[in-house]
Amino acid sequence: MSGSDAVTERKLLLTILSLSLCAAPVMAGAGQQTLVIKAGKVWPITGSAITNGLVVIENGKITAVGANLAIPEGAKILEMPDKHIMPGLIDGHCHLGLSLDVFAEIEETVSAVTPDMQILDAFNPLAADVTKALRSGVTTVLLAPGYKNPIAAQMAVVKLPGGKKDAGVINRSAGVKFSLGNEALMSDRRPTSRPGLIAQVREELNKAGQYQEGKFDPRAEILKRAIQGQLPVHIYCNAVDEILAAIIIIDEYKLKAVIVGAREADEIAEMLAERNIPLIYMPTLLLSNDKDLKRVGRIAAAGVKVAFASYAPRTNLSDLRTSAIIAAKYGLAPELALKGLTINAAEILGIAQRLGSIEPGKDADLVILSGDPLELTSGVEMVIINGDIVYQKEQK
Amino acid sequence: MVSCKHIFILLSLFLLSTVTAGSAAENIAIRAGNILTISGGVIENGIILVEDGKIKALGQEVVVPDGARVIDAKDKYVVPGLVDAQSRLYVIDGELNESRAVAPELDILDAVDPFIKERQEVLAQGVTAVCVAPGNRGLLGGLGAILKLSGGKTAKDIVLRTNVAVKGAIGISRSNQSSSLTRLENYSSIREALLETQTYMQQKRKYDQELAEYEKKKAEKKEQAKTDDQQADKGDTTSRAAKDKPTRPAKPRTNPTYEILARVLGKEIPLQIEAHRVDDILNALRLADEFDLRLILDKCTEGYKVADQIARRKVPVIAGPISTSFLDTPALEYRNHDTRNAAILSKKGVKVALGVAGRDGASSKFIALAAAMAVANGMDRHAALRAITLTPAEIFGVADRIGSLEVGKDADVVIFNRHPLDAFSQVEMVLIEGKIVYERK
Repeated sequence: MSGSDAVTERKLLLTILSLSLCAAPVMAGAGQQTLVIKAGKVWPITGSAITNGLVVIENGKITAVGANLAIPEGAKILEMPDKHIMPGLIDGHCHLGLSLDVFAEIEETVSAVTPDMQILDAFNPLAADVTKALRSGVTTVLLAPGYKNPIAAQMAVVKLPGGKKDAGVINRSAGVKFSLGNEALMSDRRPTSRPGLIAQVREELNKAGQYQEGKFDPRAEILKRAIQGQLPVHIYCNAVDEILAAIIIIDEYKLKAVIVGAREADEIAEMLAERNIPLIYMPTLLLSNDKDLKRVGRIAAAGVKVAFASYAPRTNLSDLRTSAIIAAKYGLAPELALKGLTINAAEILGIAQRLGSIEPGKDADLVILSGDPLELTSGVEMVIINGDIVYQKEQK
Repeated sequence: MVSCKHIFILLSLFLLSTVTAGSAAENIAIRAGNILTISGGVIENGIILVEDGKIKALGQEVVVPDGARVIDAKDKYVVPGLVDAQSRLYVIDGELNESRAVAPELDILDAVDPFIKERQEVLAQGVTAVCVAPGNRGLLGGLGAILKLSGGKTAKDIVLRTNVAVKGAIGISRSNQSSSLTRLENYSSIREALLETQTYMQQKRKYDQELAEYEKKKAEKKEQAKTDDQQADKGDTTSRAAKDKPTRPAKPRTNPTYEILARVLGKEIPLQIEAHRVDDILNALRLADEFDLRLILDKCTEGYKVADQIARRKVPVIAGPISTSFLDTPALEYRNHDTRNAAILSKKGVKVALGVAGRDGASSKFIALAAAMAVANGMDRHAALRAITLTPAEIFGVADRIGSLEVGKDADVVIFNRHPLDAFSQVEMVLIEGKIVYERK
């Protein structure tokens, strides 16, 4: 395929993407109108919960939150006296809309180093799991490549389709994914061993350090931005030795890094805390032993900022909240479990100025639940993105 | 001297502990704020009296006998021990499939390791019994069993009931090394095995008849011989006993496969078929119609699409997993999985038990979470709680022993500090057959 063909294809994909976003059903059509939601309980996350609170939405943004607010004239009012409202959930690491059932399409297994790839180019906004995703309560996701490449692709932060035109892609290049997990070792291409894996990452970063502008080396060009601290690096690693290797690389190249997975990070949580390295924890649903289930609580208690991920379709997008509830059941402070689903994830992904809490000025991305957000029995009743009702549970 | 003293203390501690462990017959009275009996509503501020491992009495007017140990659970919830109907506890997944496709005579009990370490963690979440069954790679994989979490040294110590069902599977996509096992073949192979069993039973019945005839004839001959002898004594020498001696019919070979399937056809053992896709579910229902057997639908992933048909036939369903997140790698048959499946089936009147169907034995600890998730997806709260207690007990024929708090049943009792479906509810104490087997520190 020639270069121009590739460009045309990418444009086409973008067109499809934006078309689908425009064409998505806008049920309430409340986008331009002022919308006031009266809920039994409002969870702003950045402040304490408000009983019988109000959220005022204008032009897709939150303009006021509180208990006793004047209702603007002509506003549409949603009365939900027995419901709970919280910010739209943010999934810190998933593979939504990238493949049907298997990971085959998100693993570039021929080349081990592919930072010039952009995962958004493989995103299908019309995939079945994307349309189904709206009822999960998740409104923003980080799309990531797979686990087999030491240096994989650029990740993207996107809002789920369903809202207005400006929904959709928030950041096409939100960071580069590294994998220092054992998944990156293969038998038929470099690296095949753990030391080989670390050596290869070093080699690529060193090469990027010597990159001269104007030379054609798209991989080095991207990695140079990473070592200059302009582009975050999300490093997937689980066991202690893998996390230690990640810390060595982060220190050596002064990377702006996030740890992803981090199953055993409790063993060395202080090292992460003193470096201010945040982490996106693996789905706790993938764990079953008490010892493992208690780890994430200890990590957060050590002062590490923790957010959650579904790895969807590995676990369901709708189980992002389940993961946080299980973490809380096994020792994570409940308020940190809620932050991990919202504001912490927004901060780690660099989108906290727009998302992650119910505060004036932020995007009106909201979830309305039948009960307490940390109860499994609570179901998603309504999802709002940019002030538009994009999902509403069918009435009996 | 010091060490001597230590040894003495250790020895006496040891003796003390053996004495406590031995005193199983201790009478216990639980004073409970809320008793969720499951079978008979909620009893507020009641007492459960436990004697000889059984529930002796329960209600508001129960008198606590002298010498009974009283457990205070005034602000707590007391429920029957929870049951995971799709468990991997005590067994190792990789060991649960035989290379033969039709092997219903295999008994899961032969693969049970009672020492498995995850038992304590699962018990600590209020689970007192699990159903374990062979894997899904064969067509008829073997016999399942209900095991308790009381612990023991042999499989016999923990088993509540064996032969609870023959586990079958239709339409499982994973490859099998032994035979082709394509979807087209699944249903017809199971059907063939059942038809062969019918022939086998006919042959056996024929043999039984012939044998009875033979025995009858033999007895007649014997009688004849006696008279002949008497006549011989009288001088008659023409013995008729030697003539037309009856021949013993050839005994057909006993076939363990058909022996078990004969009990399935005789409605003694239910057939538990794992089916996911609608066509596979319908095929399982056809088998039940044709052979008039007791069917249990397992997994039943797309059951919500044909809930009416399942309800009409009164076939019970073990729905699970509630979310594919509990699976390691969701196989193709879960493509149309819907978290509302259990709720929809239950609302249509299907008898629904829930299972975790998790990735390993320890996953059974999530059974209360699975029930809570079913509630979030529209299942009635009571139905969800029943689906992890009495309903699985009924489906597997052990409701006379477990599943609800009733007089005469095993004293398998769990004390929660909050409602068992609350995510943060904690188990305070677990009793199995009247013995305290877990206590929160």
